[in-house]
Amino acid sequence: MKKGKQQPISYAKWGYIFIIPFFVVYIIFTLYPQILTFYNSFFENYKEGLTQVGPNFVGLDNYIQLLSPGSDGTIDIFKYFGNTMIMWIAGAIPQFVVALLLALIFTSSRLKLKGQGFAKAVIYMPNLIMASAFAMLFFSLFSTVGPINKMLIDSGILDKAIDFASIKITARGLVAVMNFIMWFGNTTIVLMAGIMGIDEALFESARIDGATSTHVFTDITLPLLRPILVYVMITSLIGGLQMFDVPQVLSKGVGMPDRSTFTVVMYLNNYLGGSKNYGMAGAISVILFVITGILSILVFKLMKKED
Amino acid sequence: MEDQNKTSRTKLIISRLFAYIFVGFFCILCIFFFYLLVLNSTKTNFELQGKFSFIPGTNFITNFTNAINDDFVKIPVGMVNSFIVASISALLTTYFSALTAYATYVYDFKLKKLVTTFIIGVMMIPSQVSAAGFVQLAFKFGLTNKLWVLIIPSIAAPAVYFYMKQYLEATLPLEMIEAARIDGSSEFATFNRIVLPIMKPAVAVQMIFSFVGSWNNFFLPGLLLTEPELKTVPIMISQLRSADFAKFDLGKLYMFILLAILPVVVVYLLLSKFIIKGVTSGSVKG
Amino acid sequence: MAKVQLKNIKKVYPLTEDIKKKKKDDKPAKKINLQITPEGVVAVQEFNIDIKDKEFIVLVGPSGCGKSTTLRMVAGLEEITSGELLIDDVVMNYVEPKDRDIAMVFQNYALYPHMTVFDNIAYSLRLKRLPKAEIEKKVYEAADILDIREYLNRKPKNLSGGQRQRVAIGRAIVRNPKVLLMDEPLSNLDAKLRNQMRAEIIKLREKINTTFIYVTHDQTEAMTLGDRIVVMKDGYIQQIGTPQDVFNHPANLFVAGFIGSPRMNIFDGQLVRNGNSYQVKIGDYACALSEKKCARLVANNVASQDVYIGARPDHIELSETGLEAIVDVTELMGSDIHVHMIAADKDTIVIVPTNGESLLFNKKDKLNLKLVPNTIHVFSKETEKNLEW
Repeated sequence: MKKGKQQPISYAKWGYIFIIPFFVVYIIFTLYPQILTFYNSFFENYKEGLTQVGPNFVGLDNYIQLLSPGSDGTIDIFKYFGNTMIMWIAGAIPQFVVALLLALIFTSSRLKLKGQGFAKAVIYMPNLIMASAFAMLFFSLFSTVGPINKMLIDSGILDKAIDFASIKITARGLVAVMNFIMWFGNTTIVLMAGIMGIDEALFESARIDGATSTHVFTDITLPLLRPILVYVMITSLIGGLQMFDVPQVLSKGVGMPDRSTFTVVMYLNNYLGGSKNYGMAGAISVILFVITGILSILVFKLMKKED
Repeated sequence: MEDQNKTSRTKLIISRLFAYIFVGFFCILCIFFFYLLVLNSTKTNFELQGKFSFIPGTNFITNFTNAINDDFVKIPVGMVNSFIVASISALLTTYFSALTAYATYVYDFKLKKLVTTFIIGVMMIPSQVSAAGFVQLAFKFGLTNKLWVLIIPSIAAPAVYFYMKQYLEATLPLEMIEAARIDGSSEFATFNRIVLPIMKPAVAVQMIFSFVGSWNNFFLPGLLLTEPELKTVPIMISQLRSADFAKFDLGKLYMFILLAILPVVVVYLLLSKFIIKGVTSGSVKG
Repeated sequence: MAKVQLKNIKKVYPLTEDIKKKKKDDKPAKKINLQITPEGVVAVQEFNIDIKDKEFIVLVGPSGCGKSTTLRMVAGLEEITSGELLIDDVVMNYVEPKDRDIAMVFQNYALYPHMTVFDNIAYSLRLKRLPKAEIEKKVYEAADILDIREYLNRKPKNLSGGQRQRVAIGRAIVRNPKVLLMDEPLSNLDAKLRNQMRAEIIKLREKINTTFIYVTHDQTEAMTLGDRIVVMKDGYIQQIGTPQDVFNHPANLFVAGFIGSPRMNIFDGQLVRNGNSYQVKIGDYACALSEKKCARLVANNVASQDVYIGARPDHIELSETGLEAIVDVTELMGSDIHVHMIAADKDTIVIVPTNGESLLFNKKDKLNLKLVPNTIHVFSKETEKNLEW
């Protein structure tokens, strides 16, 4: 870095030139639409059938509408936020526990498991699978005529087929299971990297100090892994808030049964898809932005602290 | 001595056994559903509607031809569209993110700090947040059903930038740039001929992730692509959900899903070691 | 109270993919001098020593010689492939590290970064479930010995290298272990601090009653700290002896070259026997050996033969006649001058005391060298062993 500073005049322009494409594209395709989104949240702007309503400035009306109870007395956005969180937590808790255990197993110098490379490759794979296709696969496999139902009936566990996708708990359960399968491998690998980043001598030192493997875990591994663990959890939460593909496909875009798998982004998608309600969509986006913003600052602070 | 040896041995064997069972269970969990997918894609609709069996069918080829010749879900078209979007996006996103990372690593300019902080600051903002404005603009300017509208934005990918920047900081000594200057290389040539080759591993990893990401992308394409000839794979797959399962050819259905995930699975089978390394190096602090 | 015996200890690392690959690569791998056998890489073999209670033993050798591996086997961090390790006559091969009553100071200190200095030192005592008051007492005692009481509430990252070093030692001595193991504890310190800590370790030894096993690659540390030194190379012990022994009577050419700084000069020459007396010849230059040396050679019935002749830089004198040498470069070290020269086609260093005068050597100056009869070492050309022993 120091050496670059010796001739700031002659080369600085290249810095600007090289970042032009990135910033031009960012401004046109991301920043401007984002500002427009925020701007729109203060306008009435939608299609009713073929007639275009607005855009008319309505102040905070969209937010008020978003945050006021509907005909059934529930506030939709809260309900969908709740749905999203329930499905995220149901998948994320086993995800972290299992990933931590797997990471410990894989990094254990005592166990020295064979076939680790293969196992890691297998558990990571679902992370790359098209979420919508995975959801479609789950829907087919768990449908009333699907193989899972048939297996359960054949083995005498069930009397008749369960329509997994249309019962609240199983529908949410399927989403959580899919999220779990898609993400636990990724988390395992990240945590493994974290554990391997801890100086091996610390573990040895603890063993000589008299620590059992449980002590080593609670006194050394866990405290030193905590920043990474928190990082993984917050990024997972941010990802969880954006949950869309899986419940969208599984529930045919309506969050069935009874909107119990309807997520915040599905809500956004609904306003953007049919009615082109840019006002309401904008308001949802702003709320989503604020929540992720707060979480991101947490991550950022955490990384700063680590450095 | 023998006794101590023995007990510690048996203890180790037992914990190893448990570890194998634990790891094995989750490996099977990951494979099981895909196994069912492949299994079912070999069966006829009749077999699939009937009793379930683990014995593969013989209808694989027929399902395949049925799937690619389907009038409603034009999966080959979708795959070509997805491939165009994903591959060009992957090239653009890696090249320009690397270029931007390089600019903010090597050059000292007034806005450098601001630029870096800004990009890292917006890294976590979900793309859905700008979607409303994006969709609105696309409809306003008649840019729906245009693949390039999905491709061009990939030039600005903050997360890829961040990865590239970290990689550069770890691998590229600034002296090398100075040496190239002394050798008479222009700034642009230095990036293309010296820096990019050094960044090859990082570029390759990000290309794969970017390709996979846009191959699987559903949200924005789903809002912008309505013409059957321009739809990408995830949109087509989601349409299958509306099929009437009592009447639909389920063999074909499973074949659609298989085709949708196959390219990524193939890439993964070839490069899994490399990809997993990429996940590790991309996490937290390189 | 704690004697340590190592009986025919051997360590073989199973061949891993990496090593197999390394074998294929033509790159000169760092551990290329290790023996790669079908059962694996042999890191240590035929290691025998009886360490007496309260003895300070130093394992010294170049990197990859197996010294750290040996230490880690004593600690229980590495499995012993074959042989027996006894501490106080109890076989320890399969005893967990925590039950061996040992403590260890690691090269990079291995301080727990998330704990304060106090907690670092107290950790092993807490695991033993000692009462709180006793833990405090012991930690303060150890802290006082090492003069780190004022840092007890700090985290390791807020300490300097020397302070961390003290904490690492404090953590080891607080348990009052039977055996204190130290793995290159000073190698991460700068030269000045290293000298200071070395002196402190000598003092520390007087304060605590325990057996020390200390690993280093630095022969000065070995010479100054050890009651006995174990010189290792390629997994084998080369020599065990007191620093004096090892310095004055190196068992072989390797030890001769490794111990002592600047290193011993080695010439090609002949050993000529004449009845009960011997002389060494380097080219035309001849020098009779001292009576004691001759007696030992006679006792071993050594015949005339080609040998390596070793002479330490401070055991060569300038004289009017003798072995011809041409000055190359000189280094003024203060009270003496290190003169690098070519003698008998070999790079040779001679330490010339200045005695307060300003001596001047110019490049290409011709000098004559004389060996000192009772400090000449002769090594077999065949076995490289010292012919006297």
